[in-house]
Amino acid sequence: MRNSSWRAMLRSPLVVVVLVVLVWFVATFLVLPNATLLISTFFPDGKISFRALEKLVSSERALNSLWHSFALAATLAVTVNVVGIFIVLVTDYFKIRGSRVLWLGYATTLIYGGIVLAAGYNFIYGKYGFITNAVRNVFPDIDPNWFSGYFAVVVVMTLATTTNHMLFLGSSLAKIDYQTIEAARNMGASTWRILWRIVLPALRPMIFAVTVLTFLTGLGALTAPLVLGGTDFQTIAPMILTFSKSSGSRDLAALLAIILGLATIVLLAMMNRVEKSGTYFSVAKVATPLQKQPIRNPVANVLVHVVAYMLFVIYALPVLLIVLFSFLEANAISTGTITWDAFTLANYATVFGTPAVLKPFVVSVVYSALASLIVVLGMLFVARVFQKHRNPMTSLLEYLLHIPWILPTILIALALVMTFDRPNPLIGGQVLTGTTMLLLVAYVIIKIPFTLRLLKAAFASVPESLEDAARILGAGPLFTLRTVLVPLVLPTAAAITALNFNSLLDDYDAAVFLYHPLYEPLGLAIRASTEGENNLDAMSITFVYTVLLMIIMGFTMWLVYGRGGASRRRRRSRPGRPRGGAGAAAVPVPMPVPVPVAAAAVTVAAVPAAVPAAAPGSQP
Amino acid sequence: MHKRTFKTASVATLILSTMVLASCASADAGSEAGGDADGTLIVYTNSNGDGRGEWVTAQAKEAGIDIEIVGLGGADLANRIVAEKNNPVGDVVFGLNNMFFETLKDEEAVSAYEPSWSAEVDQESGDPKDGVFWPLVEQAIVTVYDTNKIPAADAPTEVADLWEDSAYEARYEVNTALGQATPQLVLAGLLAPYLDEDGDLGVSDKGWDQVQEYYAHGSPAEEGTDLYARMARGDVDFGVLPSSGITSRDAEYGTTTGVISPADGVPYVTEQIAVIAGTPREAAAEKFIDWFGSAETQGAFAAEFASYPVNEKARAEALPEVVELIESLPKQDIDYALTRENIGSWVEKTELEYLP
Repeated sequence: MRNSSWRAMLRSPLVVVVLVVLVWFVATFLVLPNATLLISTFFPDGKISFRALEKLVSSERALNSLWHSFALAATLAVTVNVVGIFIVLVTDYFKIRGSRVLWLGYATTLIYGGIVLAAGYNFIYGKYGFITNAVRNVFPDIDPNWFSGYFAVVVVMTLATTTNHMLFLGSSLAKIDYQTIEAARNMGASTWRILWRIVLPALRPMIFAVTVLTFLTGLGALTAPLVLGGTDFQTIAPMILTFSKSSGSRDLAALLAIILGLATIVLLAMMNRVEKSGTYFSVAKVATPLQKQPIRNPVANVLVHVVAYMLFVIYALPVLLIVLFSFLEANAISTGTITWDAFTLANYATVFGTPAVLKPFVVSVVYSALASLIVVLGMLFVARVFQKHRNPMTSLLEYLLHIPWILPTILIALALVMTFDRPNPLIGGQVLTGTTMLLLVAYVIIKIPFTLRLLKAAFASVPESLEDAARILGAGPLFTLRTVLVPLVLPTAAAITALNFNSLLDDYDAAVFLYHPLYEPLGLAIRASTEGENNLDAMSITFVYTVLLMIIMGFTMWLVYGRGGASRRRRRSRPGRPRGGAGAAAVPVPMPVPVPVAAAAVTVAAVPAAVPAAAPGSQP
Repeated sequence: MHKRTFKTASVATLILSTMVLASCASADAGSEAGGDADGTLIVYTNSNGDGRGEWVTAQAKEAGIDIEIVGLGGADLANRIVAEKNNPVGDVVFGLNNMFFETLKDEEAVSAYEPSWSAEVDQESGDPKDGVFWPLVEQAIVTVYDTNKIPAADAPTEVADLWEDSAYEARYEVNTALGQATPQLVLAGLLAPYLDEDGDLGVSDKGWDQVQEYYAHGSPAEEGTDLYARMARGDVDFGVLPSSGITSRDAEYGTTTGVISPADGVPYVTEQIAVIAGTPREAAAEKFIDWFGSAETQGAFAAEFASYPVNEKARAEALPEVVELIESLPKQDIDYALTRENIGSWVEKTELEYLP
């Protein structure tokens, strides 16, 4: 079935509709605008120009920066997997004391990032950081610049990008067939062996997906190298940013971005190939939830506890500091002299004293919510079709959908403005430039690759037998998708929605060219109140906005995880409680538990029974 | 067709067409920004920070003009106006410097209008040839230091001393964010004396040596840390700042700013105003320009935000220390039309070859 022919693919009306809409969307919003822009960039007078390539090759600085970006991405692909898998195991797999508190500490990267995160670490370990100062009081010989360059950037970015592991690997782990683990243990397999031979292999599709994301994050690293990299370790992203803003240098920006993009695509193709060659039906077929494993070796147990809590402190410190700093005078923060007199509410007063301070928040919440829901809904169908029907057409479409990963957001935004500034037959003769719609379109576009990758990985771990069973029992394709498949990928879909929402909230790059003058989004409002020659409180104001954003994002994550997560943990902590089968379907089942759907394979009646079971999760 | 497959198809169409709906719905949204001649005037500016946007909005309302400010950084704003030129969203733009306005004029994104106050300003500061854009406020781009730490007598008299004298090695801040306006002007100021038609990009080798030395011996600006914060903790002693930022920093950091005043002068920028070409609210836009550039409004603006107005009648209202500073600094001779043509490639060369 997986390699179905064209005819089989076109027989399903659902697939045909999905493909028609998809082809229209890809052609109109991804290919046409970007192709127009790139052609005018690389073929300025109708013939190809190698100017950009020549400039690039003759610039030592550009090649160095490019090399740094690749080195960073490759390092992160390793370090983030090590740390990320460790924290997922510590919070969700092993029996660790206080794992819920640990989870909260590790989850802090979900609610902040960018310049604030880099600055937070710099305030602790940097040249004027308080840990550096404290250590230098004891050992004055230590280099105050110890936390800079490649090492510092890797440390900070490793800690900052474990988000995807926590969310997506965590939910994959919850779906592992616990009976296999029990069976292995009964046969005498060690904790380590079970982990290495059963748990990690079952997580492979998701590990591949998050590795691609990590690699991409490393390639695009912007703020961490700027703040912590010093002169020895600068990456290519700031250069791309500068060049994409100048019309004469846009070809260089595009060329650099395409080099990074192609590297990502090559990695993606490799991962796709590996993914295809294996089968990963990791989902539990019988509803036995994963139970936490004790670490039997006492030394290892103590070690894991110590490392877990050390990581916790490292994760939590910058967040506490940022909250603290939002109450400090700008002068005290930047000069590093904190006294009791320096505490103030003035920063909050400045932010809330601005007229109409709430409007940008509302505008951004509405845009981000709409965009993240639309993109997840759309990609649910698309990922499903891609995963089920593999042929040259779907492969081509899949790669085209990754265009937003290849080009910088600024270029995509400019291309949209310039393409839709006149009536366009592809969208019914409408003009989109200057309307509220164009920004929504852009937000949907830039979130497509991330959403598609993770949803595809989620679908890849769904066993075909479930679907076959549903089909044999007479369920139609949409019914099967809705009641059997979607509930299984729902935890992932909800997490993607939340992450997309969070990352769009303070977007600047897309909004700056596309926003409607009467609906200013948050990213612009933040920039407006923190930029300007006379604005000395910029950093404090940024901290205040960060705290406010943390509250909104924390609330989003709570909506998605908090309620379900809490009951999941309660349920786990009482292993004696009966569960499974039809009984489980009756109680509201929190999302990350696989399950009652498996009953579909058993009886007809169980198929509709699975619907209410999934319902609580479907309202993030 | 089966009933079920029909249902399947229709539900799928419904969900996936959300994206289609997006484009259809734009018909309603379009009317907000589009054609009517009486709506709110959309004012594009990069000079809305520190409460200026709110002040202008409130004062304009009193004068009977309803405006909505769209505030963006200089380069972003110019890019946006050029990108939108076939279907303009904004009606007026002010605050960008001569270089950006030369670009807008070149792209035909702004159109000519002679304001009622045209006789009160020095034509040379604006667009003397075509009268497309008109000057509002002047600023000097200066190299500053704290006289509490370095007595004025010990400070260098030429900016070039900073990189030629090893005593200042890594003691002056260089801003490497060349996408922004101020670092571009610094670059233009560095290259201006070395223009040479036979040199690379119209600049002699000696000029490029200056650029290389300037960046090589400086201390790169730190993202998120103000120049004065770095001066306060002893990281650097010198740095570049537009003159309008001095007053507020002295108040915040307790510094007494000294300014290096080279014999050849310092780069000046003049913020301009113009009507955006193709706006349906041209009459309202011209009314706004007449009001905003008038001696009365510019005088009040100068008193409120320590600016130095180009409008000669408005200068009486400007703060005395601002007037004193500006008038003590000679203007460097920079050919802005030529700079505008070349700044993109200069920035590119600097970014590729000379930045640390």
